[in-house]
Amino acid sequence: MSPAPASILRDTPPDGGWGWAVVFGAFISIGFSYAFPKALTVFFKDIQLIFGASYSQIAWISSIMLAAMYAGGPISSILVNRYGSRPVVIAGGVMCGIGMVTASFGNTITHLYICVGVVGGFGLSFNLQPSVTIIGKYFQVKRPLANGLAMAGSPVFLCTLAPINQFLFNQFGWRGSFFILGALLLNCCVAGSLMRPICPKPTGGQLTQTNGTPKKPTTHRFNKFLDLSLFKHRGFLIYIVGNAVMFFGFFAPVVFLAPYALSHGFDEYSSAFLLSIMGFVDMFARPLTGLMANTKWIRPRIQYFFSFAIIYNGLCHLLCPLASGYGGLAAYSVFFGIAFGMVCALLFETLMDLVGPQRFSSAVGLATIIECCPVLLGPPIGGALVDTFGDYKYLYLMCGAVMVFAGLFLFVMNIYNYRMLERERRQEEGQVEEGCESQEQDQEQGLGLRERGETSSEEQGEGDESEAEETKLSHA
Amino acid sequence: MSKWNCFYKRIKHEKQTLNITLSMVKLLHLGWCICTPSHYKDIGDSLVEKVEILKPIDLELACTWTGNPNKLPNITGYWRKDGSEITNSRLTVQLENEQYNLKRVFRITGDTLGNYSCIFSDTDEAKIDFNKKDKPIVAYVGDSVAMACKTKLPPNTWLWYRANGTEQELINATTDPLRYKISVDGNTTKLTVMNLTAEDSGVYVCSAIYNIKASVSRVEVRVITFMEPLKPFIAIVAEVIILVLLILLYERWSSQRSSHSPTGNNIHTALTREGNNGMDENTTTRQRKI
Repeated sequence: MSPAPASILRDTPPDGGWGWAVVFGAFISIGFSYAFPKALTVFFKDIQLIFGASYSQIAWISSIMLAAMYAGGPISSILVNRYGSRPVVIAGGVMCGIGMVTASFGNTITHLYICVGVVGGFGLSFNLQPSVTIIGKYFQVKRPLANGLAMAGSPVFLCTLAPINQFLFNQFGWRGSFFILGALLLNCCVAGSLMRPICPKPTGGQLTQTNGTPKKPTTHRFNKFLDLSLFKHRGFLIYIVGNAVMFFGFFAPVVFLAPYALSHGFDEYSSAFLLSIMGFVDMFARPLTGLMANTKWIRPRIQYFFSFAIIYNGLCHLLCPLASGYGGLAAYSVFFGIAFGMVCALLFETLMDLVGPQRFSSAVGLATIIECCPVLLGPPIGGALVDTFGDYKYLYLMCGAVMVFAGLFLFVMNIYNYRMLERERRQEEGQVEEGCESQEQDQEQGLGLRERGETSSEEQGEGDESEAEETKLSHA
Repeated sequence: MSKWNCFYKRIKHEKQTLNITLSMVKLLHLGWCICTPSHYKDIGDSLVEKVEILKPIDLELACTWTGNPNKLPNITGYWRKDGSEITNSRLTVQLENEQYNLKRVFRITGDTLGNYSCIFSDTDEAKIDFNKKDKPIVAYVGDSVAMACKTKLPPNTWLWYRANGTEQELINATTDPLRYKISVDGNTTKLTVMNLTAEDSGVYVCSAIYNIKASVSRVEVRVITFMEPLKPFIAIVAEVIILVLLILLYERWSSQRSSHSPTGNNIHTALTREGNNGMDENTTTRQRKI
């Protein structure tokens, strides 16, 4: 899908300037969101000992946090749709901070589940979604690069948080560490303050659909909060199905990389070093992928690029059992790091490409809550495979097969989607591409919002005068 | 032709320093012959018998030990080849007729020639692991701390001590149940110290008592107050507040500046609304884009 034509009737995204500061803010938020649950594992042994719990009970803390982070997606989207990115990220930072500080006073494992898992997890979801959303508002031409740079936050933060956590633990024990980590998470508020609002939210986002049927007031009023009409969007559905399948096999290889190396007889430090190799390569793979995706050859076919990245990922896993010796495993880690980074860098960019920046915030919320299930189930299913067969080979074969299948599915379905979009575009010659419904709405808003401004605000019945006023004036 | 002793020889040799008797070299595989002039070679304390063979055979080597003064019912015996332990050769040897007997059959081929020795060992390696190596465990006043010790073989008993300089003071959980709790689970033990005070800082020693000797491991506990993490906490919170204020002030300043000099090419709108988070920024001019 070619980038949206720069319409003279709406503000074009700056594609630079303050946008890079926003990318930095997103970098911090995304970094905390993805890296923090994983970096917490440093404390688990000590907590396990003092609470007298089993390892799986403690591991639930990370799982609950991850689950809350994904499940909080729609709530986050609603809030972003309503209030913009900045307040939500700041609120998320405060929530995380409060969660960790209260957790440091806990005496039961349930206390930790709630404070770290639920409160912390939701706080992180309030960081993740708005960060990705606001990039779409600030960038259009350089958007893949901006996405790649922002997503690089995850490996960078993982590499820095792990030693920081270890240091804090040695100095202050787990309680003091949680206390101080609460303060560190408040830096998300700094990231949030960088996210200056831009291009105010469209108010009557779903007033008229492209097929012309007007929506009933109740549904369109809800769609203003969370755009459920996305479930009719062909590109979105393809994305959801393909990604849901992909996520089953996405994280398990990361989780089992160190145990796999241990099972080959390598010592703990060498096995952990493989993860470091992967993380290090990942750090560079993400911005480089963003750069590649930004080129004029790839950008129009970015969905194919994404499918290719997923298939490449799958192939890495399928070939992993052939790796022998530490050198083989290290090579696998390098290739896997590249593959992992490629997929992560393109994950949100492709969604933005499909649904457009206006509907993106709702789309990402719905996508994350649907992806929540495979993300959480993937590693335990992998673990069950390892336990049943006693061999890691089957885990890698399964993950590889799942990802190759998902990649092929996305590839084929996107051929179909691109073709349909092309056809629709030709049918609607002279108008904007119909497939990208949000762009059409942007056009409509630009064209007619001045006239519709007052009526739309009354129709909403929200009574949010300031919002209508903002829309009216900025689109004048 | 010199006289050869075929089949086996029963050798008995006693030395004061080491009461190990190499009792038999027995031929198991019919049809072959060990033909050897026998040599005794003493290398210090150990007794070495050199056996020459002509063809690959199965050879049973046996060792007998009359034991040390406190005869334990069970000890561990294992075999070494060329000085390094043969894997899976460890056996528990029972005391029978006032001696311990260790036997093993070795397949001797051209590749497996070498120096075979039998060892009677008093204790298995009683390596104890603490969770952390050489780093003190940090805990807080009023809180509790837990330490665990683990070994490969379950010992007879576990004991915990509190080290004060060179002295060790036994920790008795029954006399002080509100402060100490000791739990034992096979080859693991856990000591929990509750209601910590600053005096509880120090070195704790866990000791695994076996039949023959005890094995110890130590860990240091450091008790601190909540004031310690509070300082970095306040420092970080201050940094966050300062950065947020700086960023927002910069935003207000730059929007005021651009409102005083509107340019047609302004690439970002000067909206500085904060939404509903309670901060009332004054809304400055909005750029009109045509």
